[in-house]
Amino acid sequence: MAEHPPSDQTPAGAPAEQAAVDRHWRRLALAAVGVAVAVGGLLGFVIIPAGQREHSHLSMDAAMRRAAGLEAGSPAHPQPPAAINSLPVSQVSWDPAIMQRLAAGNTARGAELAGQVCAACHGETGLSVTSAIPSLAGQTSYAIYKQLHDFRTGARVQPDMTAVAQSLAVGDLASIAAYYAAASQQYAALGMRDLSGETEIVRVAWEGDTRRRIPACMSCHTNGVGGPIETPALLGQNREYMAAQLNAYASGARKNDVYGRMRDISRRLTPHEREQLARYFQGTL
Amino acid sequence: MAINEQAILNSELRWAAVVGGIIAVIVSAVLYAAIAMHVNPPSNREYVDPKTLHLSAEFTEANLGTRIDPDGRVVARLIATQFEFVPNCIVLPTNREVTLRFATPDVIHGILVTGTNVNTMVVPGYVAQVHTQFTKTGDLLMPCHEYCGLGHTQMIATVKVVPPEQFRPDAEGRAACGDAR
Amino acid sequence: MATLAETIPVPRSEPAISAGKLQVRRLVVAHVWVAIAAFAVACLLGVWQMWARSPLEAPAHTAANYFRSVTMHGVSMAYVLTTFFIMGFGYFTAETALKRPVPGLWLAWGAFWLGIAGVLMAALAIISGNASVLFTFYPPLTATVWFYVGLVLVVVASWVWCLIMIFAMQAWKSANPGQAVPLVMFATVANAVMWLWTTVGVATELLFQVIPAALGLNGMVDVGLSRTLFSWTLHAIVYFWLFPSYIAFYTMFPRAAGGRLYSDTMGRLAFILFIIYSLPVGLHHLLMDPEHSNGFKYLQTFLTALVSVPTLLTIFTITASAEVAGRMRGGTGTFGWIKTLPWGRPMVLATGLAFLMLFWGGGGGLINMSYGMNAMVHNTSWVTAHFHLIFGGTVVIMYFAIAYVMWPTLTGRSFPSMRPLNVQLWLWFIGMMVMTLPWHWTGLQGQWRRIAAFDYSNPLIASWGPWVIVSLIGGIILAVSALLFVWNLVTLHRSSSPRFAVVEVPYAEAVHPPGRLPASLNGFGLWNVIVAVLMLLAYGYPIAQFFIDPPPQAVVHRLH
Repeated sequence: MAEHPPSDQTPAGAPAEQAAVDRHWRRLALAAVGVAVAVGGLLGFVIIPAGQREHSHLSMDAAMRRAAGLEAGSPAHPQPPAAINSLPVSQVSWDPAIMQRLAAGNTARGAELAGQVCAACHGETGLSVTSAIPSLAGQTSYAIYKQLHDFRTGARVQPDMTAVAQSLAVGDLASIAAYYAAASQQYAALGMRDLSGETEIVRVAWEGDTRRRIPACMSCHTNGVGGPIETPALLGQNREYMAAQLNAYASGARKNDVYGRMRDISRRLTPHEREQLARYFQGTL
Repeated sequence: MAINEQAILNSELRWAAVVGGIIAVIVSAVLYAAIAMHVNPPSNREYVDPKTLHLSAEFTEANLGTRIDPDGRVVARLIATQFEFVPNCIVLPTNREVTLRFATPDVIHGILVTGTNVNTMVVPGYVAQVHTQFTKTGDLLMPCHEYCGLGHTQMIATVKVVPPEQFRPDAEGRAACGDAR
Repeated sequence: MATLAETIPVPRSEPAISAGKLQVRRLVVAHVWVAIAAFAVACLLGVWQMWARSPLEAPAHTAANYFRSVTMHGVSMAYVLTTFFIMGFGYFTAETALKRPVPGLWLAWGAFWLGIAGVLMAALAIISGNASVLFTFYPPLTATVWFYVGLVLVVVASWVWCLIMIFAMQAWKSANPGQAVPLVMFATVANAVMWLWTTVGVATELLFQVIPAALGLNGMVDVGLSRTLFSWTLHAIVYFWLFPSYIAFYTMFPRAAGGRLYSDTMGRLAFILFIIYSLPVGLHHLLMDPEHSNGFKYLQTFLTALVSVPTLLTIFTITASAEVAGRMRGGTGTFGWIKTLPWGRPMVLATGLAFLMLFWGGGGGLINMSYGMNAMVHNTSWVTAHFHLIFGGTVVIMYFAIAYVMWPTLTGRSFPSMRPLNVQLWLWFIGMMVMTLPWHWTGLQGQWRRIAAFDYSNPLIASWGPWVIVSLIGGIILAVSALLFVWNLVTLHRSSSPRFAVVEVPYAEAVHPPGRLPASLNGFGLWNVIVAVLMLLAYGYPIAQFFIDPPPQAVVHRLH
């Protein structure tokens, strides 16, 4: 037995022969793989677009650019144009700038404004004075901010709130939102509740109704289920207010839900169900 | 053992040739579908910002649904969002090339239309686009087929495929489900 | 009562390993029981899920529960069952095939406990409902960070295993220069090498995108990039899962059948082809995605056609090995050798049943990868059928058979009868076929995936109802088989019969044992280079495009 080899490339015994065999295998392997990639690439980037461009009336260059993903569209079909003008329903869009603004909202300023402007209707502690007015303490900052902003721009209309929101600066909206969201630590206006209701109502709340294409309320309206960012918390909210909103969505009187999510869901619920769901989510302490 | 090494190698090489033939058949079938039938997977690398989608020109609420574009193409634009399609029902004609364009403001969705080859993922950041031609009339299901959250189960739209005489767009070129008679 | 000699043919020349002296005994048993525990829980959850989707009323059928269950089922089957089983089997192989102690046992135990910590973290996160993102995680849906950290720990534990396997083989080669590494160890290390490459994709996605989002450090995520990085892992991982089964085909089945392996060289080539072609093909999971171009999708489709080659080669080589065995046992005529095979041996039976399922499952895979025609099946029940049949069927049935081979060696006791083992294997096969064949059919009709309930008042969906119930029955049969599998192994632990002092490990010999091999069939240097080149060509631009021309990002949707 000869000396120990430095690596597994030249085992002891017959180094020259072994090296020749190794080289042969190496070349064969590299060649086989190279051919495979070349054929695959040729077919995908050249042959297929060449064969498809007749249908789309594209030049070879354009077809290849589309096949390579350098341009939008399919090499086999014409590409429709994108633009048409129309008005959006809400101006709020979530992006890092707005989210930072909310995170930086000054809760001291928010407390001050809440006391001056909001408490008269929404209660000293964010627990509102009547059932027709929503409680705010413990609501998410995104939900409050969006509604305030929509009142301000007119995407959502309610005479008192429109006036209030338009009197505030945009930065103040963020502060108020941050204040009420933080208030959940102190006041349990919105949060865990004992829930009870008819079986069918509980089913809609937790399982949804596949036949009517109604998702379970809890698939969005639970904290931490990954639904739309601006979804408001519901548990413990005032029954009359919630029922009124569902009816307003159903009639189209309220339409600041982006892409009509709540409008479509509310229309699929019966008036009785809207009433019962509002009762269910108010719950009891 | 009666089998010699060369015989084993020869049999393996013969089989390798058969394998090569199988691969060639598969590759040819795919090439045929791609070139003769212009079947590509949906690969529309067109960006759209999910965060401002509802503010954008093309995908605002009033511009969704089926429309005959100024150049005469039938294009249906839909939003896939948690947890529904907007609009929830679209109408399309048979025997005419149609294009469906999807965008989402939130998470990954996907669609298929039952009984057809319409299938695409809808990924935030991109306009997902499918070209097809319907041959049979009927009310087809268009469910969301990719997990998008707890409400995924109920996220289903309807595609009403109607004969050309029942496809009556209005003056602006728009057609909605309620219009088809 | 079957004697040991009847269950496993005794080799003529190899020294025996004593059960008492198997150093990795407790390590292997620990790993495999963790895998089996996760597997059993996941089976039961799977039955509940099918019940929920059927026309029958299922209990506790909320959306939150359903997706919790799907996440737990997927994570248990795809990450826990597989990783722990493969690690345990690998340690077993390293000691019994190389016939020397496995280096770094203390490190292996450390990795085991790290993996356990990870599993517990992930499991608790899922149970809490804050991690219903399924095993494929779908950014921008973002679970609690504990879910991801738990899975990262499991992956890190597996990396330690990989290094131990590679080191064990290197040490053996230094001590045995010029010799061919036993095929069973060569294949095990091939799996380790492939796994290291495989995990780069998901590790990058988790470390740079998903975990920062879960921690609140990023408010946005590039969804296309995350899907692409995950696809890097997603295809190759199924070959990571499949390697033990093919290892059993090549190195255990021929001996169990009473014969020899037809060609050792073909075995090595098959495993090498898996390494190089399992990785640059992930885009075939993204064929319906808008973020990639037709050209790269086609290139990776073409390479996917090539990854069917090692399976086709394996079918030939193993069938030829079976024919060798059958004829040695007296079979004559074109097909007479099939009858004379010892079907009463679990390893032989499992291989036969695995091949039947491989025909259906592999065929389904060829359809899935067919470029534009994937549109007919993407995200339908056809896909669910495919991977349950090929993974749950072909691959997992061999895991059972491997466990039945290892257990006598690990416990020092023999099974009193092969009957419960064979019954368990038959039930698994029948259950899998009954469960998955209807899914293929309903999938072609458009039945879609990952939903908690169907509206059976719709006529099309109503027509699927009976098939859904048939699948449910298949699932129940599978659950029974799973429990019987657990029971069969437990009986060896509980057995009061005396331990055998010496137990054989029946690795197959080749018809022509390899003499001196080219370096490329005895090591992985060349293949690592080829993988690197292929990944650069196939994935280079598809990943780079997200940096060259960044798309708009999506807002993170937090689940906690």
